Amino acid sequence: MKVPVSWLREYVDFDLPVEELARQLVFTSCEVDRIVRRGVPGGDNLRHFVVGKVLEAAKHPNADKLQLTKVDVGDGEPRSIVCGAWNFGAGATVAVVTPGGVMPGGEFTIEKRKLRGETSEGMILSERELELGEDHAGIMVLADDLVAGTPLADVLPLGDDVLEIETLYNRPDLTSVYGIAREVAALTGGELKPMPGVEPARDGDEPFPVTIEDLEGCPRFIARVFRDVTLGESPAWLKARLSGAGMRPISNVVDITNYVMLALGSPLHAYDAETLAGGQIIVRRARAGEELVTLDGTRRELDTRDLVIADAERAIGLAGVMGGENTEVSGSTTSVILETANFEPLTVLKSGERHRMRSESQTRWEKGVDPEAAGYAARYASQLLAELAGARWTGETEVRGEIPAPPTIAFRPAYTNEAIGLDVPESEQRDRLDRLGFGVDEQWNVSVPSWRARDVRRDIDVVEEVARFRLEDVPATLPNRQAMHGRLTHTQRLRRQVEDVLVGAGLHEAYTYSLQPDDPDPNALELPVPLSSQQRLLRTTLSVGLIGAARHNVDMGNHDVELFEVAHVYLPVEGSKVPNERWRLGGILQGNFFRAKGIVEAVFEALHVEPTFERAQVLEGSPVGARVESGWVAQHGPVGLDGEWSAFELDLEELFALVPERILYRDVITFPPLRQDLAFVVDEGVPAGQLLAAAREAAGEELREARFLSDYRGDQIAAGKKSVAFAVAFQSPERTLSDEDATRLRRAVVEALATRFGAELRA
Amino acid sequence: MDSLAAVDWTAYEQEALKAIEGALSESELDDARVKYLGRKSELAQALRAVRDRESGMLLNGIRARLEAAVLAREHDLLRVAYEAAADSGVDVTIPGHPVRRGRLHLLTQIRREIEDIFLGMGYEVWDGAEVATTWENFDALTSDPGHPSRSQFDTFYLDDDTVLRTHTSPDQIRAMQQRTPPVYLVSPGRCYRRDTPDATHSPIFLQVECLAVDRGITLADLQGTVLQFFRALFGQEREVRMRTSFFPFTEPSVEFDVTCFICGGRGCGTCKHSGWIEMGGAGWVDPDVFRNVDLDPAEWQGFAFGFGIERIAMLRHGLPDLRAFWENDLRVLGQF
Repeated sequence: MKVPVSWLREYVDFDLPVEELARQLVFTSCEVDRIVRRGVPGGDNLRHFVVGKVLEAAKHPNADKLQLTKVDVGDGEPRSIVCGAWNFGAGATVAVVTPGGVMPGGEFTIEKRKLRGETSEGMILSERELELGEDHAGIMVLADDLVAGTPLADVLPLGDDVLEIETLYNRPDLTSVYGIAREVAALTGGELKPMPGVEPARDGDEPFPVTIEDLEGCPRFIARVFRDVTLGESPAWLKARLSGAGMRPISNVVDITNYVMLALGSPLHAYDAETLAGGQIIVRRARAGEELVTLDGTRRELDTRDLVIADAERAIGLAGVMGGENTEVSGSTTSVILETANFEPLTVLKSGERHRMRSESQTRWEKGVDPEAAGYAARYASQLLAELAGARWTGETEVRGEIPAPPTIAFRPAYTNEAIGLDVPESEQRDRLDRLGFGVDEQWNVSVPSWRARDVRRDIDVVEEVARFRLEDVPATLPNRQAMHGRLTHTQRLRRQVEDVLVGAGLHEAYTYSLQPDDPDPNALELPVPLSSQQRLLRTTLSVGLIGAARHNVDMGNHDVELFEVAHVYLPVEGSKVPNERWRLGGILQGNFFRAKGIVEAVFEALHVEPTFERAQVLEGSPVGARVESGWVAQHGPVGLDGEWSAFELDLEELFALVPERILYRDVITFPPLRQDLAFVVDEGVPAGQLLAAAREAAGEELREARFLSDYRGDQIAAGKKSVAFAVAFQSPERTLSDEDATRLRRAVVEALATRFGAELRA
Repeated sequence: MDSLAAVDWTAYEQEALKAIEGALSESELDDARVKYLGRKSELAQALRAVRDRESGMLLNGIRARLEAAVLAREHDLLRVAYEAAADSGVDVTIPGHPVRRGRLHLLTQIRREIEDIFLGMGYEVWDGAEVATTWENFDALTSDPGHPSRSQFDTFYLDDDTVLRTHTSPDQIRAMQQRTPPVYLVSPGRCYRRDTPDATHSPIFLQVECLAVDRGITLADLQGTVLQFFRALFGQEREVRMRTSFFPFTEPSVEFDVTCFICGGRGCGTCKHSGWIEMGGAGWVDPDVFRNVDLDPAEWQGFAFGFGIERIAMLRHGLPDLRAFWENDLRVLGQF
């Protein structure tokens, strides 16, 4: 909301400089994005802008399109001024800027100069040059009773500071100048003036039928009838205010509705009375197939949930959002129906969403307008219609349903201090609430004003009303704790450990999207309305995102791409839209299966878990892959990446379940190990891992270490066979093993491998 | 004992020492060692043959002295060799043998830093699910049905009752349901909003929620905690301030700003010349939120605050575009 400060000052007295006011409002009430200076730059510059009387006006001797004038600016020395406009003559009262005056925008200074051989000592001003309106057809002609030399600033709103305010969701009362004035009064202690608007005399009792078919959507509707309306331009002050508030002046009737909305916060609408079929208004839900061309010129197919204003035949407005073209006030309008109302916020919000519309009216309705403001708005608009459009108020109909009374809250002023940790005296609390329009009786029953009834419903809401003016004074304390221990959980520590191991192993950590275009699981949860087809599925694996990240790096010309990610996957749960979320570790690396496997082994080793790999087809099109406890490792098939790429993914919850809770010391120092290398000839199909596992099983605890050395096929080995070599270490924590012990253990291993795999020990 | 008698051991030792100390290379030293101390040396043979204590002591003494001399000469030779190498001017600017190492994502580094600060203040780290029921994400947080955040233009719905969480605040609800107060926790994680990606918006982003529930918690405790946290993160000189705001689940609600850690509060481009940087939202936990999780607001009070991790990363490291966090370009990841 843009608030011209001169307008604000009309409703409240305050002494603060505007910048300081804005600074304080930011703490207490609303965001102030910036302060913009509009119109003629202020201060000393204003003395150059005065009322002038045109003494003489004739064609410029050397230019057909220019006038040469003599203008009295009140100092007894008439100035000669060259002017391009012809909408005035001798005797006219005009707005003049004399040399030295800086024009709006601050870039252009008026100077005395020659124009086609004649001296021009200033400029006669148009509305647009003063940023008062759009009109540039001619200069502004002022009222004749003004005296030459009168400061123009006394007559016209020449310049203004405009506060650009962003209101909070719970403060729809601040979407009006009067509402902000009330806030400023509470903040500064300045006096709040009475609400503007004096009911004009009513001239007649014309009936005008109004029917509300949906009192929930529209609990209140006031229609006022005006005759003999003279449609025309608004006066300069009104145009200046609207322009300052960011709205375009259109015509006096439309401008009045907008002005009153900005002043009091309750949106209004004016219909051309002659265009209303059946001379009546019906508030109802839209009919199936009904259409409406709104004032922005768009044809809209209405939804049966839309609340509309209608006449006897058709929709004439989308309630609270925008009026219709079919009943628009136009140049030929002489009779007007003025609407002020209450609309239910959610209905307006939904209509706006459905039709993708945004209007000044809608943004107010959907936050909740003061239900009482409809009456005040009707009153003020009627006054202005009478004054500015010569309108005669001839009739009124009001229909209203149940409007709940604003709450009264039993309050305890000590609660404020308990909540905010700052002692705010009772007198200050009472005074602040009073200034905000709350009623506070002797027993601290707080009655809420109608414009805050939606937001302030409980004692804690009253606390906020007081507290927000003291936020700068709240001290910095810490909770007084009786117990305290901050530590990561076992799982969180392991997660960090895994990340650190991978970083140490050369991988960079990636963050990829949880929403992916594809997923191997056909049951992956899908967003009904995704932002794009690239982000439509909740992933069940990290691999798709990591392939994308790898591809991006390759495209960027990066080498040695090795990435990992630790993040959630979302496994679908039958019969529910709430997935089973799991922490996963995923990785992708340039290189073959064994590159990835080495990384996985490093992770397992770091966690003291012995992995078992079993060959399996874990990825589509993959040449080699394996399952391992809690996940898989595999070489990628063709995935749009050149060369060999491999990947892995582990479910961290499953993996961490295998991590020993406590590592017990084993004595590897007191008694020496006996080391031997063993090589066996076996069928090619026998996995080395199974040989090792069988060896461990056969030798038991005393086989402290069994490490794979090599896997050999060749000249000395028969076709269809291979030689697998291990290094073993036999060791006991209780005694020094003898040569006999070593022979026994070795024999156990040899016999076990011979029996289970037909393995023959090589010499 | 012929050999013992036949040899002048004093002369032997002198001769050996001379040979050892005069060796000019490792091979000359080795020759001397073999000749005077080796298995076939006269000394070794004599030692094998010795039968009396006095001779043994004599010969062992000689052996020990000679061995020490060999060791000393070895060191001398090495020192000479190293000095020569030092003189030859090895180019130490040539890179060492490469060791692979990666990096944590910048957002993880910052997340850990945040977690660690809170751990130090005695908070636990909470891992929350990213899919939430509308009750957890909105209703229990007393967000009214017309609040714009509920709109399907702002929120990803899986169905009418299920959303991708739009903030980390549903973890307040879950934590209060699962824990018995006092509760002091911080919950970092992914959140989702229907924002078209650009330099400052992403449909997926990381937020941190902080929740304290205890007896007698006030807004002043929030102010103090926020202050301590940001001092730990951005330096001891930082100040914080609270401005009024609105969140459905806190009352009073505030936004908090921190004095700019780039210019120290004097005003610069980062803080838009205000001296303050907007960091996040906060407030005193609304009593109705406690009621929604069956806690008695007369007994328990709390504060909550939340802020974005990316924003801290961008401000602190001068990163202009949020999308860089999700592109995973090694040239970017490798910088931090």
